[in-house]
Amino acid sequence: MLRHVTRKAAGWLLMIVVATNATYFLASWFLDPRSNFKELRPVRSEAQIDRALAPYNLDPTVPLVHRWWDWFTSVTLHFDWGKSPTGVSVNGEVGYRALISAELVVVATVLSVVIGVALGVYTAARQYGWADRVSQAVSIVVFNVPTSVAALAVVFVAIWLNQHAGLHFLYVAGENSPDVEGLLPTIGDRLLHLILPTLTLTLMGYVGYHLTQRSLLLDTLHADFVRTAQATGLTRGQAIRRHALRAALIPTAASVAFSIPAIFTGAVITETVFGWNGMGRYFIQTISKNDVHGTVATAAFAAALTAIGAILADIATVFLDPRVRVS
Amino acid sequence: MTLATPLLDPVPPTDATPALSVRDLRISFPSEAGTVEAVRGVDFDLLPGRTLCIVGESGSGKSATAMGIMGLLPPSAELRGQVLLGGQDLVGLDDPSLSKIRGSSIGMVFQDPLSALTPIFSVGRLLSDALRVHQDLTKRAAWEQAVELLDLVGIPDPRNRAASFPHEFSGGMRQRVVIALAIANRPSVLVADEPTTALDVTVQAQILEVLRQAQRETGAGLVLITHDLGVVAGHADDVAVMYAGRFVERAGVGELFRRPTMPYTARLLAAVPDVEGGARKPLVPIGGEPPTLVNLPSGCPFASRCAVSLDACAHDEPKLRHVTGHGHVACLRAFEIADGTLDPAGDTPPAGQPAAAGRAEAAEVALRGEVALRGEVVLRVEDLVKTFPVTKGALLKRRVGTLHAVNRVSFELRAGETLGLVGESGSGKTTTLMEILRLGRPEAGRIEIAGTDVGTVPSAVRHGQLRQDVQIVMQDPLGALDPRMPVFHLLAEPLRAIGRDRESIRARVHELLTLVGLDESVSDRFPAALSGGQRQRVGIARALATEPKLLALDEPLSALDVSVQAGVINLLARLQRDLGLAYLVVAHDLSVVRYISDRIAVMYLGHIVETGDTEAIFNDPQHPYTRALLSAIPIPDPERERTRERVVLQGEQPSAARMPAGCVFVDRCPLYRSADDELRHRCRTQRPEPTPAAGRPTHQYACHGI
Repeated sequence: MLRHVTRKAAGWLLMIVVATNATYFLASWFLDPRSNFKELRPVRSEAQIDRALAPYNLDPTVPLVHRWWDWFTSVTLHFDWGKSPTGVSVNGEVGYRALISAELVVVATVLSVVIGVALGVYTAARQYGWADRVSQAVSIVVFNVPTSVAALAVVFVAIWLNQHAGLHFLYVAGENSPDVEGLLPTIGDRLLHLILPTLTLTLMGYVGYHLTQRSLLLDTLHADFVRTAQATGLTRGQAIRRHALRAALIPTAASVAFSIPAIFTGAVITETVFGWNGMGRYFIQTISKNDVHGTVATAAFAAALTAIGAILADIATVFLDPRVRVS
Repeated sequence: MTLATPLLDPVPPTDATPALSVRDLRISFPSEAGTVEAVRGVDFDLLPGRTLCIVGESGSGKSATAMGIMGLLPPSAELRGQVLLGGQDLVGLDDPSLSKIRGSSIGMVFQDPLSALTPIFSVGRLLSDALRVHQDLTKRAAWEQAVELLDLVGIPDPRNRAASFPHEFSGGMRQRVVIALAIANRPSVLVADEPTTALDVTVQAQILEVLRQAQRETGAGLVLITHDLGVVAGHADDVAVMYAGRFVERAGVGELFRRPTMPYTARLLAAVPDVEGGARKPLVPIGGEPPTLVNLPSGCPFASRCAVSLDACAHDEPKLRHVTGHGHVACLRAFEIADGTLDPAGDTPPAGQPAAAGRAEAAEVALRGEVALRGEVVLRVEDLVKTFPVTKGALLKRRVGTLHAVNRVSFELRAGETLGLVGESGSGKTTTLMEILRLGRPEAGRIEIAGTDVGTVPSAVRHGQLRQDVQIVMQDPLGALDPRMPVFHLLAEPLRAIGRDRESIRARVHELLTLVGLDESVSDRFPAALSGGQRQRVGIARALATEPKLLALDEPLSALDVSVQAGVINLLARLQRDLGLAYLVVAHDLSVVRYISDRIAVMYLGHIVETGDTEAIFNDPQHPYTRALLSAIPIPDPERERTRERVVLQGEQPSAARMPAGCVFVDRCPLYRSADDELRHRCRTQRPEPTPAAGRPTHQYACHGI
């Protein structure tokens, strides 16, 4: 078990290294920090621009391999991800944004999986019943609503609720209030800010789990082994939970891992609508500002999230399917 | 005549209390075509320790009866009547109360052992779970009992094997585990739904023995559902014949086989090839198809297929009536048949039934034995070898071994001749067939089709002329025919592929349909709208389209019901005689193989261990494996079935990846076990060469011990 996970983790680490370095070269080729200076007045000469970029290891006159080596050694030795073209440290920016984004993505993913799988199980056991038909209709409608529309709808509903309830507990902008102090009030305040964006991301995420889990379970529900389990004296419900569900959860566990990057990009729109300074927005900003180091750090962050998700999925698979432990 | 006879007495006179009593059981399912009346009033009593066999063809309602008794029908099904188990009526109980009874008082063995066990749990875990559902046991105690149960059903090394997962067991071993699950809590009733249909004959014999032992051990009454009349003859105390959702005949096993009284039973028995039957007697197919159970018309459901039906049969459905000295029969003419004044097969089949054609074909079959006209060699296989690499590792596949699927197989086949390849699954018979059909250069050895060595000809010839000469008929006609093509297109496709023009295709399709005994009207129907027998006829017609010389038949009959199977056997015989075809048949049903083959090759672990003329092999088998295989086939005759001597094989065929150095059969050979040291040494170290049997140069076997 431990060996299995360690081996998988090593593989993923290698993947992160390869992906991040590939992104560095791609970003260096396609993003040109010099263009940031083109709009400035008075007009700067080429040499001036290069000189301005040189301290941040972005000087285009230096060969790319040299720049990459400098960047690579500083990342591996000092975990310093470099600076933006304006000299802002990437580490400082990514540090707190990553925390905010992780907060959002992790809570939303967990909720999506729990709600989606629970709905899938509930409706598969009652195939073609009214609960199944209604929830499926709702899910298909939600599935077809674009994230931005859903986010705005959530905002409008929240504002309406706030006005009619006379409360202001549903925050529609920002990740925290500026004037809160003390540990417990800060946590409470952050959680309140988290409600609406999480709700939006969960709405976007649960549908996939609901529909796939429903059809996966329907496949195993009619399997002969479920009937055998019933014949040994389990009720239908028990047979479904103990035998069918466990087998049907294995593909879901694997798919959660690979949906994390998708949720992460979905969060870009959500963060924009709710005014959160998370990694999603940072990703857009860095690309538009030709910030090579920022873009690479964002890519590395996404790769790390994927890897963590995949390793968790492996652990879940080992837990669900004891056959993996044997071989 | 005696319509005033008393109706069926629901409780037969007996001292013991029945373990299970079923009264007027009715099951219906909603469907798009209307309500399907799957079971329409079934009554029986099962005494402890007795075996009731329910026989019937697919769709007769036998499995629905089993599921109804177990309370495992889908929620949409409607169940009425009474199922009395130890005085308690199970019909109408809710799921939680039923689940207290299932597995403790009544156990079930399912048809397909490959899918009946949860793949993600070890068999020990499955068994101990089944025990702990009904008994208050610690995990450890349950595991100990699970190991004992595995030992009881004959799993070798049960303590270690308990931790194995279902995929690590063979089909026969998994069925033993399913039986262990069924008897775990010592139920008073066991229901086995086609428990051996998915298994090889040798394994079938073992599993039936395990079931019998389990029954002895628990004293349970057994309801054994099967379509195999040989299994019935060997294992039943009482037999119920089911047709269109009802019992049409119920009698003791001896009485039933001695004088089948319902015309359906009689015709069913006449349609089964008998492996010990001596000379080839013509098979008489029943003709027609079983009725669909939606909006069943009034009257006897068998009347339209019955040779002795009266006008009255079309009006009222006869009830089961007691026939003295026999049992219960649902037929207006039961008494005439029972006292021998009426032949249930009738002299004149009803008009408009394909049975007439069937009989003519049957007569031709009888002639066949005499007309031994052998043409030129169509297929010659010499030292054919096929291996598969065994690999390990996920990313980098390392070759860790070689699976010898086919090992130096040689035979030849002449025009107008049938060669049957028989053996257990995994013996390499289908691989041999596929290697021939591939029309490629074999790994080693030679394949010669109509005088052409397929390894040397250019691929254009291979795909042109050779492909026309060799065609195949598959096992499952529904899977083998494209469901989105009507019959005309299915038959026209091979003709288009060889470049026939539109007019000649139309004429040829018409000709083909006539050839296989199908009506012109089926040509615009889709395969799903045809019956099983019609589909297989389409499959045969398609194979014949290009006028092949060699037809490979891969289990051509195993997907068909007995009553339909006989018609297809007769058709194949007629086609062979008329067209001079050579047949290469792969089949596991040895009684069918005996019926259609001129010669037989017995395969074991990729080797032909014995080959010769069919009658020579069946009457005087030489190789111990052939003997065991033949003695494992159940005969549909209780007296012969129960008294004959058997060679029961221990264990199962080993994997072809670990081939023994000497004789491939050495691990299971009964001769080896009684042999002296010198012979044992030879068996262990030398692979036996084929040697001719005394006085019969064509009959060869590979064994050191004879």
